[in-house]
Amino acid sequence: MITGNINIEPVLSVVVVNMGMGSKILNEAKKIGISGGTIFLGRGTVKKRILELLGLDEVKKEIVFMISDKELEGRLHKDLTDIFHLDKPNKGIVFSSPVSRIIGIRNHTDVNDSRIGGKEDMDYEVLFTIVERGLGQDVVDAATAAGSRGATIINARGSGIHENTMFFSMNIEPEKEIVMIIIEKEKSFEIIKHIKEVMHIDEPGKGIMFAMEVSKTSGLVKDNK
Amino acid sequence: MNILTQKIKDVVFSILPITVIVLILNFTITPIGANMISRFIIGAIFITLGLAIFLLGVDIGVQPIGSLMGSSLTRKKSLWMIIIFGFILGFLINVAEPDLLVLARQVDKVTSGVLSQISVVVVVSIGIGLLVAVGLTRIVFKIPLHKLLTILYGIIFLLVLLAPGEFLGIAFDSGGATTGSMTVPFILALGIGMSSTQGGKASEEDSFGLVGVASTGPMIAVLMMSLFSGIKSLTGSLPYEAANTDGVIVHFLKEIPVMVFEVIMAMIPLLVLFLIFQILFFKLSRKQLMKILKGLVYTFIGFVLFLTGVNAGFMEAGSAIGYALATLTGDWIVILVGFILGFTVILAEPAVYVLNEQIREVTSGHINKKAILYTLSIGVAIAVSLSMVRILVPGIKLWHFLIPGYLIAVALTYFTPKLFVGIAFDSGGVASGPMTATFILAFAQGVADAIEGADVLMDAFGVIAMVALTPLIAIQILGIIYERKSVKRS
Repeated sequence: MITGNINIEPVLSVVVVNMGMGSKILNEAKKIGISGGTIFLGRGTVKKRILELLGLDEVKKEIVFMISDKELEGRLHKDLTDIFHLDKPNKGIVFSSPVSRIIGIRNHTDVNDSRIGGKEDMDYEVLFTIVERGLGQDVVDAATAAGSRGATIINARGSGIHENTMFFSMNIEPEKEIVMIIIEKEKSFEIIKHIKEVMHIDEPGKGIMFAMEVSKTSGLVKDNK
Repeated sequence: MNILTQKIKDVVFSILPITVIVLILNFTITPIGANMISRFIIGAIFITLGLAIFLLGVDIGVQPIGSLMGSSLTRKKSLWMIIIFGFILGFLINVAEPDLLVLARQVDKVTSGVLSQISVVVVVSIGIGLLVAVGLTRIVFKIPLHKLLTILYGIIFLLVLLAPGEFLGIAFDSGGATTGSMTVPFILALGIGMSSTQGGKASEEDSFGLVGVASTGPMIAVLMMSLFSGIKSLTGSLPYEAANTDGVIVHFLKEIPVMVFEVIMAMIPLLVLFLIFQILFFKLSRKQLMKILKGLVYTFIGFVLFLTGVNAGFMEAGSAIGYALATLTGDWIVILVGFILGFTVILAEPAVYVLNEQIREVTSGHINKKAILYTLSIGVAIAVSLSMVRILVPGIKLWHFLIPGYLIAVALTYFTPKLFVGIAFDSGGVASGPMTATFILAFAQGVADAIEGADVLMDAFGVIAMVALTPLIAIQILGIIYERKSVKRS
């Protein structure tokens, strides 16, 4: 680990909430000592047959990325869950992932140990799939078919080494979609395999997929198995 | 909460202010009668429902089509294809715009048929088609927006000097009127789709401005027509439609079929273009295709409800209030009420919502929605009250406002952050939508009708032009303030 302080154990906390809530989340987070965050837009899908039929199954979401010390993780999960009622369905989710190194964030030492709240579990993984624009929904469908419960799609652009091209003065970067899915570890093999098969991710130019450890989650609705 | 209830909630807050103001006016200084006020209230309900459904449809139907077209054209990487399709898209989407048909009919009448309705529709649509192609080419070649706008408005000023003065109002109205609620979301999305394929800072800056560029097309087209037709002055007159005395419900029932026809006409080109693009370029999955088609159905239903509410409920109430106000009260109250109506009515313009959503998407929420809304409100409020001044004071002519106004607007582009230049010039077309074209216009006509010496028809021309002008200045000033503020912070 290359950080200024050897004691730091950084985590990335990701909050997904309904449109317009992002700034409020960030404000609350700042109150407990998080030094800052990055907000961007995405969309989630609601699983309701009738809404799907009417074409109303899409909800605009805001995603907040915040990097902090591991010590703040518990407080963050607990406070956000309390204030924004994340434990109720469809209010939003929080998850945290370990980060290997951070640069540009000052250490806040004035916080007491506060490992409370949230679900300290290693049962989950977060899966990122990056595909061509328009294919994100197919990824979500594939994941749902294999047992995942929800997903967030983020518009993005980017290109691989062969794709970037100039068109007169325009530098064309093809549009992409990032699909972020929280999956239970026990199902992750199935889900990843299914997405790979449906989307042909392993063929060149079809997209990429990677999974990250999740150390803590809040607001996920438990499966009633 | 699903998106529909969320949309209805949003929309209620934007329709409520204008409704409350009109009700207050009715019960205080300008009673307009029980029949008309009950029609107004039913109209407000139609508008609320219609606007919510329309916006939903734009979200999942019209905008995806526009941005898909923009990005798939860019990815073909053929300049000719962009120019040709840009022209075809601009032309076809506009040729069926209801606002354009209305404008063309008026031009036909005031020129005693020298400029026929069909020729105006075709020429103006060609104007928009050409300018959409120019606007898209601008993005490809990275020509700065302020330079292009300087050239375009330079051409317009030149034509204004040559053309008969009476055409000024019609020409500048046409810019705002033709970029209606159907075209604006589509052209906005087209520009955003195109610029979203490129990287870097330009992606954000180039996202806006296409509507602004496109709306110069009709102005140039109308001025050219007046030049080449050799008309020296306006001779004909418009028939003044008598007030309707039907029952409350009958009135709405009569309006619906008319609107259904208009909206179908307006949407056919979009649907056909979408299907052609789907076969040639998009090749969307069945699920995506169905979703966009559902979006178009929502757009249709919403638009019909909205226009029915506006035409059957709001329009005559507007003119009755204008008339009563000018007969019963003093000049300064007319100007003040004009200001308040302008301030609140803009919140109910469909395209304003669409623009705000797009700004939020493109800037990831960096530009505050309320800041844009209130700036637009102030701009339009000033436009309406200045229009009242023009009607009340015979010596003041339209060009006294328009010429300096546009000079200031173009000059400001050199000092305003690029993103805001695009937003500002787009907002001109956005602000002058169906609400302005009916309610505010009817209000102005009502006032003119009651004022001795005011010409109802001639004074009515130019109101839309004013509403299309002031946001250009207001939003650019906001942009300059924004930049100052953010520099201070860092």
